[in-house]
Amino acid sequence: MVGLSHYLILGSLLFAISVVGIFLNRKNVIILLMAIELMLLAVNLNFIAFSHYLNDIAGQVFVFFILTVAAAESAIGLAILVVLFRNLRTINVDDLDSLKG
Amino acid sequence: MEWLSNLFGSYWPAVEITGWTLIKIIAIVAPLMGAVAYLTLAERKVIGYMQVRIGPNRVGYFGLLQPLADGIKLLFKEVILPTASNKALFLLGPVLAIAPAFAAWAVVPFDLNMVLADVDAGLLYILAMTSVAVYGVIIAGWASNSKYAFLGSLRSAAQIVSYEIAMGFALVGVLMCANSLNLGKIVLGQEGGFWHWYFIPLFPLFIVYFISAVAETNRAPFDVAEGESEIVAGFHVEYSGMAFAVFFLAEYANMILVSMLAALMFLGGWLSPVPFIPDSFLWLLAKVGFLLFLFLWFRATFPRYRYDQIMRLGWKVFIPITIVWIVFVGGMMQTPWAHLFH
Amino acid sequence: MTFFGLHFQDIVFYTLATILLIAGLRVITTRNPVYAALYLVLAFFTAAGIWLLLEAEFLAIALVLVYVGAVMVLFLFVVMMLDINLDKLREGFWKALPIALPVGGLMAVEMVMIVGARNFGADVVPAPAAHPADYSNTAELGRVLYTDYLLPFELASVVLLVAIVAAIALTLRDRKDSKSMDPAKQVLVKKADRLRIVKMEAEVEKNDVVDTSAQADDKGAK
Repeated sequence: MVGLSHYLILGSLLFAISVVGIFLNRKNVIILLMAIELMLLAVNLNFIAFSHYLNDIAGQVFVFFILTVAAAESAIGLAILVVLFRNLRTINVDDLDSLKG
Repeated sequence: MEWLSNLFGSYWPAVEITGWTLIKIIAIVAPLMGAVAYLTLAERKVIGYMQVRIGPNRVGYFGLLQPLADGIKLLFKEVILPTASNKALFLLGPVLAIAPAFAAWAVVPFDLNMVLADVDAGLLYILAMTSVAVYGVIIAGWASNSKYAFLGSLRSAAQIVSYEIAMGFALVGVLMCANSLNLGKIVLGQEGGFWHWYFIPLFPLFIVYFISAVAETNRAPFDVAEGESEIVAGFHVEYSGMAFAVFFLAEYANMILVSMLAALMFLGGWLSPVPFIPDSFLWLLAKVGFLLFLFLWFRATFPRYRYDQIMRLGWKVFIPITIVWIVFVGGMMQTPWAHLFH
Repeated sequence: MTFFGLHFQDIVFYTLATILLIAGLRVITTRNPVYAALYLVLAFFTAAGIWLLLEAEFLAIALVLVYVGAVMVLFLFVVMMLDINLDKLREGFWKALPIALPVGGLMAVEMVMIVGARNFGADVVPAPAAHPADYSNTAELGRVLYTDYLLPFELASVVLLVAIVAAIALTLRDRKDSKSMDPAKQVLVKKADRLRIVKMEAEVEKNDVVDTSAQADDKGAK
């Protein structure tokens, strides 16, 4: 029978995958944003698993707020990305070095 | 039944449930496909008469076998895969367009307790499914690797996402009145004659919902995604044969779905308009039929909107109207007239 | 009920978990950002399925509605519209691998050791009692949100409002070459503003032959 630990392990594996993803694709802003979304998904999975097994709805409330904030974050992130591409014609992280210091 | 249950042994309960569910699914999808097929004929006939023509009348009496002939023709046509297209996604597009259009029917009630899955969050599920439908369009347009297709899919995606907001807000009004997300309970909240139906207290929301539904389904006058005079056929320009037919089916299935939802949420579903006539599934059919006729009527009447006008209508007209009316309904619910809104 | 020693829910869980992990892997390894976005959509979908297993119906459907239906559409839009040099962005992918894999592996092993069956197994944290038949996850979540968490809930709406304003303020620009028009002005136009009726004498044709040849020339030019 699947228990709490199964869900937690799934969440941590997903989290580790997205960390590796940030390492591998550190030049591509879009994939970086996606890896962050994947991380938040892993965290949300843990919250919901705990909420279910401890019979406490507060965990789901947290997930609700994380979803809200993450949606706002990705909207602004993509807006910045679009402005960036409009001005520099690139989304390569290495090219964003005009602020030296 | 006895020998079947012996055959499967301890697995019988699972097999029985699966079997019954499959039968119910077929009982919903098969008439739906028939309705879709005859809706295409109805469209040609209705618009034909509106334009003082006769419409299809060669295949079968009154053209009644025309959908069958069309189906056979499309079935035997070759599905052309453009060389430059992305093959896997090109084929996935139509599937993703039609799957949500059918999946949403799982929670639609047809009569009291006549529903495949009586889910608490049924309305939310339908909203989720219809919002997934946009992927079929986006993927089809992108995988075709063609300018017209891509332009059409971008137009359609932006339009669907924009009008979803107005549509969602319109439904919030219904939720406030019904205190439930379950479609069956929403209908039961409107019992007691047509003056209890939600389209009266929520009239602006009903209008916004229905026009948004026309825009959601990419129907005229909001059909810039296809816009045959500017971008040929929009996102499905590269599709032929059955692959094209699947997009066609999805569009009509979506039309029936949004009409069904409008009938359930604003027009009392299967409830009869006056108390002395019994409630029946036929009422629901009549209401849905009327709303579908409106779809066809719109197509025959209105010229196509320009794209910036569509976006303006959605964002600057509909969304403010819905927000104002939701606040109004919420305010009225705190007054002695609250019973008018329940 | 069991199939080959596995509960039905276990089978669903393992299937969805496998799809979720594969989708996650493909998000970070695939070359084309469009594929990455589509795999992320798949990941969200399967995650919603797993949340359904955990009886969080409202959030599962909200995840599909908000993420699959809106956020990922936005992602796809941006990814499809940008004309990016993919090879440039893939540089350093293989160079980073020798560092990334051990770090990720170490993290995974550590976390699995902590959250494994020893601390959170089925016998340590038993499955909760089943809810009564009239229990509604949506209603329960709504009740808590509008009572205990009312202030955070309102703050979340402010966050969303700020996000809307910021996203529009960042990307809105007045293009000089765009021929936008003001619909209010268009509606207010009167006949007298646009139309001028000029009185003209009726003209008399002088030579029919010349006229038809001119028409023929016109057609030829077209």
